Amino acid sequence: MQPVLEWQIASVTAIRAETPQTKSFTLALPQWMAHQPGQHYDVRLTAPDGYQTERSYSVASEPERVGVIELTVERIADGEVSSYLHDVVIVGDKLEVRGPVGGYFVWGIELGGPLMLIGGGSGVVPLMAMMRHRDACKSTIPTRLLYSSRTPEDVIYQNELNELARKDRMLEVIFTFTRQAPAGWSGYKRRIDPAMLSDVLGPLGGSARVYVCGPTLLVESVADGLVEMGLPQARIRTERFGPTGK
Amino acid sequence: MISRGFSGRRRPADVEKRLPPGQYLTTDFPVLSAGPTPHVPLDKWTFILEGLVQSPKRWTWEEFQKLPTQTFTVDISCVTKWTKLDMKWRGVTVDTLLEAVQLLPNAQFVVAFSNGGYTTNIPLDELVKGQAFIAYEYDDKELAPEHGGPARLVVPHLYFWKSAKWIRGLRFMERNEPGFWESLGYHIHGDPWKEERYSGD
Amino acid sequence: MHRKDADINTSLMLDGNAIAGELQQIFGRDLTMAMTRCGRCSADTRLGALMAFVRAPGVVLRCPACGTVIIRIVETPGQYYVDARGAVFMRLDRDARRLAHQ
Repeated sequence: MQPVLEWQIASVTAIRAETPQTKSFTLALPQWMAHQPGQHYDVRLTAPDGYQTERSYSVASEPERVGVIELTVERIADGEVSSYLHDVVIVGDKLEVRGPVGGYFVWGIELGGPLMLIGGGSGVVPLMAMMRHRDACKSTIPTRLLYSSRTPEDVIYQNELNELARKDRMLEVIFTFTRQAPAGWSGYKRRIDPAMLSDVLGPLGGSARVYVCGPTLLVESVADGLVEMGLPQARIRTERFGPTGK
Repeated sequence: MISRGFSGRRRPADVEKRLPPGQYLTTDFPVLSAGPTPHVPLDKWTFILEGLVQSPKRWTWEEFQKLPTQTFTVDISCVTKWTKLDMKWRGVTVDTLLEAVQLLPNAQFVVAFSNGGYTTNIPLDELVKGQAFIAYEYDDKELAPEHGGPARLVVPHLYFWKSAKWIRGLRFMERNEPGFWESLGYHIHGDPWKEERYSGD
Repeated sequence: MHRKDADINTSLMLDGNAIAGELQQIFGRDLTMAMTRCGRCSADTRLGALMAFVRAPGVVLRCPACGTVIIRIVETPGQYYVDARGAVFMRLDRDARRLAHQ
């Protein structure tokens, strides 16, 4: 079903700091409709002089959370929209949004698995929607998240990810740190590379569906690595994020 | 709806007169591209004048560097609404380049073409008399690849999409042939002071 | 496409997903799942996976395999212009439910 794509005015009902650079905004939508995990909304700002600018943000929340969407936004230095959202917006403010959009980078339990999610930086956001949806449906589809961050303080949803992995035998979360790892860390300490992909994806088997999201360079190198491993192109879906979130 | 507390961009009072209609002041130098940055080794780079000329003239990078240059400090307006004031460039005027060829009488228009397939069209009489130059330095430094380096066309009196990045030559034509953006809804001329953004403006 | 450089132009590069909203406004349905065939190298790529340059006077979607322009879109105050000559075809499923099982 295609949504009627009109702008609507959402209300900010909650703001939560996830990391020093990211915040999650809960928006109540007058015309909410269930989105597919992986989809995004466009956010539009209008200045008094009529100047407008737009950005797209992936929905972090699961469609089972009715009536609201959660957008997790990374604050980009000199980012026109992200700095407005971080520095100005307060609970009670209104934001003009349009969506949900996107039909390619989406996953739902009806698509099955095994499921391999690979994210870098704020690329984890749409993958989180997929995992929260999977959890809400109490799915047992074997799933792994490989999440690349610069430092431990950059990890978004740290506690929630630990909790999801702890209570679910069929879900595994693997972190890698590219700049600085936690003290005593015995896990991966480098950019995602073919050897890491092989180790992490191996146990899921060759029929896994893979979703890769993050900065362009990460997405390209991971997608190339997966194809070189013999994964069919049709099982790989990608979404590139820019330095401005999207 | 107006977004509370969102001030968008500015037209500061002290420079307002220098901003064409509908433009906002920027202090950085936004990167806008239709494609990936081409990387041309300088020993393979050439610049050509071709089309309605007696005979085409080609320069290698080494030869191009020997041409007389000038410094230009100009205001630049992009059709996406940013204007940057007092941008300092160094380059070779189109007038200087034209000294090396004999134009045919029916040469009235120019297509500027670049690595990566980009083209844009300008009337010949708007490229001469110091109105346009091939720049290879910006702000006293080598022109960075993401801003069009090693060399780009700069036509300050028209919207910046006419200032073709990664330029490789000028082709002289009898007719005004719409280029990459002009063939898809953008104005064939592009004067910011007349707000000639889209065809039909 | 292997890319060794990491210049700002590359890092600003997105994909067709970024313009899903605009495409849905123009065409009335999601187009990111459309299969496109490159007119130059014949690579088949979902529109959502085409390289997208969105910070330009218009949007340019390019083949991730060979870099050639597949689709260009310009939005003026009154119109949309779409040039899809770079694609041999765009293929869309008629039955949205079939998409789910690919």
